Amino acid sequence: MALEGQSVSRLRKDLLQLLPLLGNPESVVSAFPSGDNMLEWTGTIKGGKGTVYDGKVYKLTLEFPSTYPIKPPVVKFMTPCYHPNVDQQGNICLDILKENWSSLYDVRTILLSIQVLLGEPNNDSPLNADAAKNWNKEVYKKALEKFEKEIAK
Amino acid sequence: MATSEGDINERTAAAGASNTEQPNANANFECNICLDTAKDAVISFCGHLFCWPCLHKWLETRPNKSVCPVCKAGISKDKVIPLYGRGSTNQEDPREKMPPRPQGRRPEPENNGAFPGFGGFGDGFQLSFGIGAFPFAFFSTTFGGQGQTAAPAGSPQAEDEQFLSKLFLWVAFLFMFWLLIA
Repeated sequence: MALEGQSVSRLRKDLLQLLPLLGNPESVVSAFPSGDNMLEWTGTIKGGKGTVYDGKVYKLTLEFPSTYPIKPPVVKFMTPCYHPNVDQQGNICLDILKENWSSLYDVRTILLSIQVLLGEPNNDSPLNADAAKNWNKEVYKKALEKFEKEIAK
Repeated sequence: MATSEGDINERTAAAGASNTEQPNANANFECNICLDTAKDAVISFCGHLFCWPCLHKWLETRPNKSVCPVCKAGISKDKVIPLYGRGSTNQEDPREKMPPRPQGRRPEPENNGAFPGFGGFGDGFQLSFGIGAFPFAFFSTTFGGQGQTAAPAGSPQAEDEQFLSKLFLWVAFLFMFWLLIA
């Protein structure tokens, strides 16, 4: 219980870091606890300007362990995302959420890292081989549009 | 006297007021893990401040890769310095105050588990001790039974003793047989 209390009080601080961003239309990330459970959050990120994801908005879920911030949260895309490092279930392959996690990261920096990852994928360890193959090519934009059309159906 | 006391009171009051006005005034003394003002503070050789309970949990989950959460420098229990502020009456080393932790764990070895082969060696040592001790018991039962016939032959006590020594002999043979096939 004491441990959980610690993760909740840390998440309150994370929330305080995010509050100034909530009203700002310029901010690219936002997040808020989904319901009464402070350990489950919903976040949104906007695709970076000048990238193929410009203008797109993605929803994500963040599930925090009771040991947060010693252990990282599980972050998943709720909105289907065509990206080399995101699989069909929305799982994200990002080192700072796994072996390179540091207790210094908070919700804001996690979401910013994912936002940067959108525009700068790591094509060496792809979860979506098709997207990794098409990255930085003319066909990528088309493949992305086609993916989103199929999802919309 | 009264004036200097009043002066101090005024100064502390002013300090308190500035703290409430600027919540970031204490940010320099926040633990890098829980982001609260560090309790039982320790500082790493790389200069980063932590609550000892927080850092202990961090180190505990990474026994093989103990790095500073801020700069990824090497860090361990012996590579942090406890901080004692003037206000703290209890100058106990915070590292001695272990936070609640899972029971039955071995203390971390000095070289932080960098050499995993060591654990295997420990197991092997225990096993060979078990084999080495056994023949001693075996001899003591056989020779002891013949050499000192304390109880008169035919008495129930002697019968019991003989039965027991035979039983242990068989147990010994079974054990050795098991060792051979295992």
